[in-house]
Amino acid sequence: MDFAPVLDGFAVVLEPTNLLYCLIGVVVGMLVGVLPGLGPAATIAILLPITIGIEPVTAIIMLAGIFYGAQYGGTITSVLLKLPGEASSVVTVFDGHALARQGKAGTALGIAAIGSFIGGTVSIVALTFLAPLVAGFALDFGPPEYTALALLGILLVATVSGGSRLKAVIAACVGLLLATVGRDMFTGGERFTFGNLDLADGLDFVPIAMGLFGLGEILYNLEERHTAAAAPARIANVWPSRSDLKQSSGAIGRGSVLGFLLGILPGGGATLSSLAAYAVEKRRSKSPERFGNGAVEGVAGPETANNAAATSSFIPLLTLGIPANATMAVIYGALLVQGVNVGPRLVDDDPELFWGVVNSMYIGNILLLIMSIPLVGLFVRILRVRPAILAPITVLITLVGVYTVNNSVFDIVLVIVFGLLGYLMKKAGFDPGPLLLAFVLGSLLEDSLRRSLLIFDGDAFAFFTRPISGTLLAVFLLVVLYPVIRSALTRRRSAERPIDSKELV
Amino acid sequence: MTTNHRVRRWATAGAGLTLALSLAACGGNVGGGSAEGEDFPGDEPITILVGQDAGGSTDLIARELAEGVSDELGVPVTVENKPGANGALAAQELAGEDADGHTLMVYNGSLAYITPLANEDAPDIADYEIVTGISLDDYVLVTAPDSGFSTVEDLAAAGRPITFGTTGVGTGSQLSQELLFAQADIDATAVPFDGGSPTLTAVLGGQVDVGSIQLGEALEQIEAGELDAIVTFAEERPSFLSDVPTAVEAGYDVPVQQSRAVFAPKDTPDEVLEALRSAFEVAFEDEGYQAFNEENALTANQVDGDEIRETWTSNLDEYRSVVEEFGIDLGGDQ
Repeated sequence: MDFAPVLDGFAVVLEPTNLLYCLIGVVVGMLVGVLPGLGPAATIAILLPITIGIEPVTAIIMLAGIFYGAQYGGTITSVLLKLPGEASSVVTVFDGHALARQGKAGTALGIAAIGSFIGGTVSIVALTFLAPLVAGFALDFGPPEYTALALLGILLVATVSGGSRLKAVIAACVGLLLATVGRDMFTGGERFTFGNLDLADGLDFVPIAMGLFGLGEILYNLEERHTAAAAPARIANVWPSRSDLKQSSGAIGRGSVLGFLLGILPGGGATLSSLAAYAVEKRRSKSPERFGNGAVEGVAGPETANNAAATSSFIPLLTLGIPANATMAVIYGALLVQGVNVGPRLVDDDPELFWGVVNSMYIGNILLLIMSIPLVGLFVRILRVRPAILAPITVLITLVGVYTVNNSVFDIVLVIVFGLLGYLMKKAGFDPGPLLLAFVLGSLLEDSLRRSLLIFDGDAFAFFTRPISGTLLAVFLLVVLYPVIRSALTRRRSAERPIDSKELV
Repeated sequence: MTTNHRVRRWATAGAGLTLALSLAACGGNVGGGSAEGEDFPGDEPITILVGQDAGGSTDLIARELAEGVSDELGVPVTVENKPGANGALAAQELAGEDADGHTLMVYNGSLAYITPLANEDAPDIADYEIVTGISLDDYVLVTAPDSGFSTVEDLAAAGRPITFGTTGVGTGSQLSQELLFAQADIDATAVPFDGGSPTLTAVLGGQVDVGSIQLGEALEQIEAGELDAIVTFAEERPSFLSDVPTAVEAGYDVPVQQSRAVFAPKDTPDEVLEALRSAFEVAFEDEGYQAFNEENALTANQVDGDEIRETWTSNLDEYRSVVEEFGIDLGGDQ
């Protein structure tokens, strides 16, 4: 492997502007991590228009900083207030808050910060070596492979993400439908445009993301009354003891690997990996009863994993141009707005961007480690900002921001429409994530499928004759059929043992 | 990439503004004549529409020129991307703008002489004024080195239908190949991609047998030996790739080039067009601009508007008759 571009990447990161934006990114990330409700996807969506005026590397460095910075920040409120700032920190509440009640909040936060740092760093190192490999391999990714990958991605997002599977599939289907609006790339025919020129090119990604995540979340959060939770005034001994560190070292190691792997997976990402890491730690433990009552591993594992995953989910995006989760979809949007061609050739064509972004994560993680320990008290104070003040400001930024992207009033209307949709979806228990991701992957899926069929001369079975697309489709079928088979098996088993079935009901 | 262009654009815009302000402070407009166009550009900024995404060749050309024109005219010149329908969307917007020279567009020849073959709704160049020609961009037919194809004859002797990647429906990339394969009697299927870069990737990875790509986008890979050039679709061998035969030399009469020109709305006053033309001429002389052309394998074609109109119109007629002769359907090519 040629390390010259990697080193050049450091030169890019160390430019004062990029360092500054990296710092801004992680600080904003920490803040939104602390604030419940406003997640990294929403924040990045809202900030998309701001990135237009700055260079692509700088913009993505900042947005990436928001993403992994939020993973640190989310921990703080989970531990101190039993109020997870992020979905990926929900499991940290169990043991983190238990530790805080025992007066060991400092230990929990310290372990989480150290775990996050290690998980993030391990993941960046792995990313550094793996991403060029994937990219080298990526030339083998033709239309059939992209078809299979997009299909699998949409399915995994719909099934793996939390909440009701049916609702997620419905949301994904709506996303696919929305992706069909606009001119047909193959024939030039217009679809669902109703003769409207604004729709001729299809719906733009940015206003949809800003509406669904930005406006939608703000509206939704206005409903929830956040009683100003009183944070503990002081946090003592932030540095974990040697025995705590020893106890959690295994968890940090396993969390790094698990987080890295789950982060790459489409539909995976920070939330899933933190849940999985917690389950793994609990299962491995010799004394699982400690979990929920202040087990240090219960904080270390998930916190390490969510950070590792936040980093590794950049791999499919930067190498294949496939966003693995909703936040990555928004960052993908940022790259599109910047005119960056994300795909297999990014590492070679634009090494400065690629390595600049990757290497900025080392710096960002160090900044976060430095900030998160002494500045905890400061960040907790942010919680006192009332939503009544924060919400109107954010809405204003969103609406002004979206206008600046294309100088289009139509985009403002789109944001409002999708903001309402996002709000209603959340109220009805639909996660807007699958919708957005399916929207992004929808045109890729359709175009790749049609290209493949042109290449195969209409032979649909040819998908199975190519190793990569064949394997991906086999995995797709497995994921689809697994629940069916499992439920068939349980039904048969319960039919054999009628007493059990009563218990199940 | 586009990185520096934005920054530079703001810088030039700022510089232009300062200049304009200082000129205004020097005592108003000379003459203060009532005839429209006489005091062009005044202190109003100029917008150049681009019908393609930021970062593409058309966009880069527009940004490169915007800088020089802004320096010359002393007003900010900004590039606004309005991508869609191969530029038809931007052309439509241009038609609706005031004919005062403050909104221009970098118009792609393919929209004038290829898109109408695929889509009847394509804009007509008779509805616009043409300020000046800009440059020519050649198409080159490339293949992966391990494909076993190195001449058009090899493709004809493949013994199977071949697949060719195009940069989209109704583009020069599609037309050049359709015409070549029709004349060479090669059974071939078009696979449209979304622009030059994805097409290049598909050819590199052997997903399609061949692809026609703009020279500037493929030159680096050809020189590095990652791609083999089969023919170029130029009239004469482009200086950037002088050892590759043209399709005409190979016996197929299908010159297809991408040409670009600056358009203004219909009925823009002559004085304004004249002022704009001389500003662009100064911008063309800039060394930075010429180096840019060299770097992107663009051949200067700074002819006047009438010549552009004439060439483009005859191109359209010629292509229309060949396409009919060979029964090529660019639009519904499924």
